[in-house]
Amino acid sequence: MTSSLHDLSALHTVGMLLVILCLSNIARAEPIEVVDFLGREVILQSPAKRVIALAPHIVENVYSAGAGDKLVGVVSYSNFPVEAKAIPVVGGYKSYSVETIIALQPDLILMWASGNGDKALQHLTALGFTVYVDELSSLEDIAHFVHDIGLMTGAETVANARVDEYLHTLSALRSKYSHREPVSVFYQVWNEPLQTINGEHVINDVINLCGGKNIFADAAVLAPKINLESVIVANPRAIVASGMDEARPEWLDDWRQWPQLQAVQRGHVYFIPPDVLQRHSFRLLEGAQQMCQQFANIRRQAE
Amino acid sequence: MTTGVPLSPGGKNYAPVRPTFFVLALLIPVVLLLAIAIGAVSLPVKDTLLALFGASSDAQTQAIVTRIRVPRALLAALVGALLGISGAATQGLFRNPLADPSLIGVTGGAVFGASLAIVIGGSAMAGMVSFAGLSVVAFGAFLGGGLAVILVYRLATTVHGTSVTTMLLAGIAITALAGSFSNFLEFIASNDMLRRISLWKMGGLDGATAARVWIAVVACMFTLGLLPRFAQALNALLLGESEARHLGIDVARVKRGLILLVAVAVGTSVALAGTIAFVGLIVPHIMRLIIGPDHRRLLWASALAGAILLPLADTFARVVLAPTELPVGMITAAIGAPFFIILLRNRPDHGR
Repeated sequence: MTSSLHDLSALHTVGMLLVILCLSNIARAEPIEVVDFLGREVILQSPAKRVIALAPHIVENVYSAGAGDKLVGVVSYSNFPVEAKAIPVVGGYKSYSVETIIALQPDLILMWASGNGDKALQHLTALGFTVYVDELSSLEDIAHFVHDIGLMTGAETVANARVDEYLHTLSALRSKYSHREPVSVFYQVWNEPLQTINGEHVINDVINLCGGKNIFADAAVLAPKINLESVIVANPRAIVASGMDEARPEWLDDWRQWPQLQAVQRGHVYFIPPDVLQRHSFRLLEGAQQMCQQFANIRRQAE
Repeated sequence: MTTGVPLSPGGKNYAPVRPTFFVLALLIPVVLLLAIAIGAVSLPVKDTLLALFGASSDAQTQAIVTRIRVPRALLAALVGALLGISGAATQGLFRNPLADPSLIGVTGGAVFGASLAIVIGGSAMAGMVSFAGLSVVAFGAFLGGGLAVILVYRLATTVHGTSVTTMLLAGIAITALAGSFSNFLEFIASNDMLRRISLWKMGGLDGATAARVWIAVVACMFTLGLLPRFAQALNALLLGESEARHLGIDVARVKRGLILLVAVAVGTSVALAGTIAFVGLIVPHIMRLIIGPDHRRLLWASALAGAILLPLADTFARVVLAPTELPVGMITAAIGAPFFIILLRNRPDHGR
């Protein structure tokens, strides 16, 4: 009996302390307010200390913002940077465990709109979590996202410095390459079915940055299955592919069957590893540099 | 219309046999020409026709016609024929109007095999060389489909013979099991693999090459050559198994033969063109409504109709949103279902 009374009074003390802490926080700092990519207002009373990232590219961006140490949960395939591999996994990006998320007591969850889906967002907000949703469709969006992560985790100083550096490299590449003589490009996502990307995709942004022109920029969907004959007729000057692995996909060699294509004739069938071109993170600049270099070679050869 | 076996109660008015086959046979070249003449890129008709005989003055037109459109149109027709005739045989064997080749586990097994190849193939088999124009994924599909059928057949076979009912149920069970394995694979698959699995499942004839056309030709010769030999047996089976046995038919042998042929036909078509829904189910029904249930005609008619529907659907799939391609399975249903509904409404005994 006495012990439970003792507990109660301890609880009371803790409660008082919490109230005081909260009050002092409110007095000390303004709440952090940002608008996410869906136009939702995200409000944090104090910088987030326990962050869960529900997509591999988000994990990369959190590290870019200098807030990697705040991550308490990630999804599978979060393999970059290597430190991320040590963080507890809450499941796949489509199939994470809500219980695990609750147990990790995050004060901020970073979601990926097109990957995690609307339902997941509704579910997690209904549970009372603070959620920020990203939907990155341009190279600038990535900078914006990293900037926001910095704000939300109190890592603005590092984040802003990295963002400035990224934007600087980006504009250097842009001014160097984007106005050069256009190079028509076919970006091949996969061979069977033959799949490409349209103008809405970030890779299309990279192509434009390097002064290229995606021959299927006007296609109806983001990653359309397309017809081989339209590639033959468009006769692009470059064919670029990433495949799924670190290794150059063997199906790129299938293009040799079409020697009438100028890209094949002149050997402009290129590989850029998917990790530096298909992840919406600062590493895209590496991919962009490779691509710009490839296009520059094509122009040089044409002279 | 005289047949050895009583076919249906009430003697329906079916279309005359010879003209029907004449029209079907005529429609195939028409549809094939259409599939070759129309595409994502518009080519001059005259050049396209010349290219068919290797005489086009434009090298590009020549290449597009002979290396892309012709193989694809032919593959579509051959796969359509395989699916059509297999569907007719399966419905006859199971005496069940809802039976289609996927019922005995072929499709479920093939999807699992293909998914496994995609998920594992992402890393471990990336360097594996494809064989005869077939990818590792296609092999996975064929093997998965084949294994599923063997499993279903064994489950339903006891010393007393093969029970068709048990086979139906075992087919459902194996399909469910393969489906759950496939779902698990999708669960652990990365975003890219997932997209590839779903694209593969939607079916597609875009991988058509001369090598694949030849594989389809061999499968067609095998299936179209042997399946019609079971026509009389299938007619007898319509009466019931013991009746068929009394008519002197070796029911066990017939079942084994039919199942083997259907497995090879559907397994091949899945490996060559992915899962294409609907053709195997509705084409035989359409033909049954038109020329009646006598398998001596129905099997051939279903093969021909499949060879018309699939190239036609594929042509639509290629041009509706060109250069983007739609999944062909979507179009087969969109063309076939309304046609089937009209036939159903116009049946002589409609509303009976």
